[in-house]
Amino acid sequence: MDALLPVLSYATFFLVFVSVFAVIVLGLNLQWGFTGLFNVGVAGFVAIGAYTSAILTAPDYPNQVGGFGLPVVVGMVGAMVTSGLAALVVGVAALRLRHDYLAITTFGIAMTIQLVALNAQWLTGGAFGLQFVPRPFTETFGTTLGANAAYLALCLAILALVYVALERLVRSPFGRVLRAIREDETAAQSLGKRAFVFRLQSFVIGCAVMGLGGALYAHFVGFVAAEDFLPILTFQLWAMLIVGGAGNNRGAVLGAFVVWGVWTLSGNLLRELTPQAEQARGAALQVVLIGIALCAMLVWRPRGLIGERVGEGGKAKRGGS
Amino acid sequence: MLQLIADGLVVGSVVSLGAVGLTMTYAILRFANFAHGELLAWGAYLALSMLGILLAIGGAERMVPLSPFSFGWELVVAALVACVGAAAIALVLDKLLFSRLRHGAAITLVIASFGAALALRNLLQFLWGPIPTYYSRELQIAIPLVPRDVLGGMRITPDQLLVLALAAATVVGLHLFLTRTTLGKAMRATALNPQLARVAGVDVDGVIRATWIIGAVLATIAGVLAGLTVQLRPQLGFDLLLPLFAAAILGGIGNVYGAVLGGLIVGLAESLAVPLIGAEYRAAVSFLVIIAILLVRPQGLLGERT
Amino acid sequence: MSALAVEGLIAGYEPDLPIVREASLAVAPGEILAVLGPNGAGKSTLIKAIAGLVRVYGGRVLLEGEEITNAPAHTMVRRGLAFVPQTENVFANLSIAENLDLAAAIVKAPRARVGALYDLFPDLARQRRLAAGRLSGGQRQMLAVARALVVAPRVLMLDEPSAGLSPKLVGQVFEKLLEIRASGVTIVLVEQNVKAALAIADRGVILVEGKERVMGEAQSLMDDPAVAELYLGRSGRHAGEGA
Ligand SMILES: Nc1ncnc2c1ncn2[C@@H]1O[C@H](COP(=O)(O)OP(=O)(O)O)[C@@H](O)[C@H]1O
Ligand SMILES: [Mg+2]
Repeated sequence: MDALLPVLSYATFFLVFVSVFAVIVLGLNLQWGFTGLFNVGVAGFVAIGAYTSAILTAPDYPNQVGGFGLPVVVGMVGAMVTSGLAALVVGVAALRLRHDYLAITTFGIAMTIQLVALNAQWLTGGAFGLQFVPRPFTETFGTTLGANAAYLALCLAILALVYVALERLVRSPFGRVLRAIREDETAAQSLGKRAFVFRLQSFVIGCAVMGLGGALYAHFVGFVAAEDFLPILTFQLWAMLIVGGAGNNRGAVLGAFVVWGVWTLSGNLLRELTPQAEQARGAALQVVLIGIALCAMLVWRPRGLIGERVGEGGKAKRGGS
Repeated sequence: MLQLIADGLVVGSVVSLGAVGLTMTYAILRFANFAHGELLAWGAYLALSMLGILLAIGGAERMVPLSPFSFGWELVVAALVACVGAAAIALVLDKLLFSRLRHGAAITLVIASFGAALALRNLLQFLWGPIPTYYSRELQIAIPLVPRDVLGGMRITPDQLLVLALAAATVVGLHLFLTRTTLGKAMRATALNPQLARVAGVDVDGVIRATWIIGAVLATIAGVLAGLTVQLRPQLGFDLLLPLFAAAILGGIGNVYGAVLGGLIVGLAESLAVPLIGAEYRAAVSFLVIIAILLVRPQGLLGERT
Repeated sequence: MSALAVEGLIAGYEPDLPIVREASLAVAPGEILAVLGPNGAGKSTLIKAIAGLVRVYGGRVLLEGEEITNAPAHTMVRRGLAFVPQTENVFANLSIAENLDLAAAIVKAPRARVGALYDLFPDLARQRRLAAGRLSGGQRQMLAVARALVVAPRVLMLDEPSAGLSPKLVGQVFEKLLEIRASGVTIVLVEQNVKAALAIADRGVILVEGKERVMGEAQSLMDDPAVAELYLGRSGRHAGEGA
């Protein structure tokens, strides 16, 4: 039993991350998989959620905004609202135009949020980040494992909730319109202004879900810092979606599991293999390899491991056989 | 004030050179290439390595500066070799990745370029390490162009003047190329209507190769100049990517002259904004420029409404 | 020897779904051949396959006896084969003069060639500064034809040059085609407008479901009840024009 304990606690830890990522990837899947919107600033929207929830729920920080000490639930809702609002600004500016503009604009907002996170001491704690973000269940359970397991249950419940909600959404008439817009630019054009509104809704909802993921992350780790939301996070999340198969919510969840597993394993392996002084280089090499894997996936298996299920309103796609 | 304008124009020139390549790729291949910034970084670092090799061959400890500049002839040669290297990277990337995805949706190319950018950036960091460096440690004396009592005065180093001159020369050269040469005209035709261009006898594959080569050469020049006037960092390309996009969009994406104009404006805006918002938020200026132009005039300053 | 010959051509957008199915035809030098057929018959696909824009999976294309099957599209003009697509056949943002100069520059045609085209198309010469996108349908079509002639081709292929034009304008454009033929250019004319096309063509071929069905002298096709039937069977709209 004692020998099992570290394994169990590692597995809980790992699965919490997987479920947090899965929530975020579901948000991304609504945008890309079902609406064809390319968001390069995922890390930024996750960061907004994480910081919002942290500021709303954490105790007073000296010389900083915050200290509201609100319940974690309020923090999570707040996270969804602020991430959604940020999405609204970006969406209004970029969603009327060609897809590339959304990519560029979301890239821009993620960079800007990174700057704010690093520099706005009064709001984000700057380079130190925000400490003492409340971790639910730590007081209820004496052990870390117990608390983590409880948090995992919470994450899985929220993941299930988000999953069901999004499944219903994409199967509704609204979801069918989204797919029609994605599949067919001319159909989108004939919808004119309404296509823009549909895209905007999808984009804002997706980003709100990402914000929720950010909040889940913050309350698990117990602190937020700018370096947790670097572009590499966006990249990992995209890898999860592409590997799992865009346009399929089950694939999105599977992708989170597979990619995070491969990432942690290869990271551990590289740490074992590379000498202390070369760790930074090893980490860089890891990103290189995964970057190449993502590109290879795009070329050889564009529909991902699962891909969009056939016969769900959208046209069956070829490829990925 | 004057000094800020001068600094802004120097930065803007570098951005312009990079943005021209970016906007050309967009005009011909029709996608926003997130890997373009990495061509700047790779160009700059290839030049650094070539410089080391040249100095080693010559048995020299360091470059003997070509007065009044801070660098010697070795850097010029190194930059030329780096141009070839960066062009080769762009061509290989196109062959292995982009050309295979061209038949599909344009956005797939954007995603691919995003992945390629990460791979290239981290490969660069893997090979050269994360520590910033310089081509030359030679200190330069800034020439006072305007005395201090006129609007705060203006001083500029010979290297910075060279940046301005090179950017201007590139624009003139590019204009002559696009309007006078057969290849330049073929590129314009392809940008306007690829199918008709083929029917009219344009080898579109050749035009695509030429686009990558020109874009990579300009990126290398921009990267080396950025390394020369600021410093060499592995994130050099990543940090410049947003200003490059801002410049291209501001000028009207796909419009070469617009990219030059956009680059200068972005450089000026960054420089002038620093006293207002602080140097730490400098990088956010490009984002604000993008949002503003998309809301007010999404086709860009010189772009045509489509 | 035929100016242009197609033998058992199989072509399309996906290998397992050929649009052109073993089509064969031949054009004699100096002839106007009308390629007719109902909407969706694969006329555009056939002509694009000849031009190198659509992939050929089987059969051969011969230009003056030389095989050009699947040759890259941009090499066709140098071989003497010019093509006027049905849509987007001019650079809309450029002026008439820029359109012609650009086309001439691409193939390094002598400047005198553009001058000669202005002689052939005086209307274009008069408005050479006007943006092509602002030309009327007829003049835009004239410009598209002029652009194709910059290379002094021996064979000229046109995809539905009459589409969207009033009968009067169709007459003017086809008049021009006769003039061009008179200068020794062989013409392949893809058309929906059966009557107008057969009026200027020497011979005609009717394509149905990617295969040639009826071939013959223009005059005999005009009177052929089978032709009317082919059209009636597919699309009543053209029957009136064809019969
Ligand atoms: N770009 C394309 N991709 C796939 N199928 C096409 C394409 N263009 C045309 N088709 C199909 O080829 C068939 C023949 O079209 P086309 O050659 O344009 O006929 P026509 O010119 O005789 O009216 C049609 O069924 C059409 O749907
Ligand atoms: Mg047709």
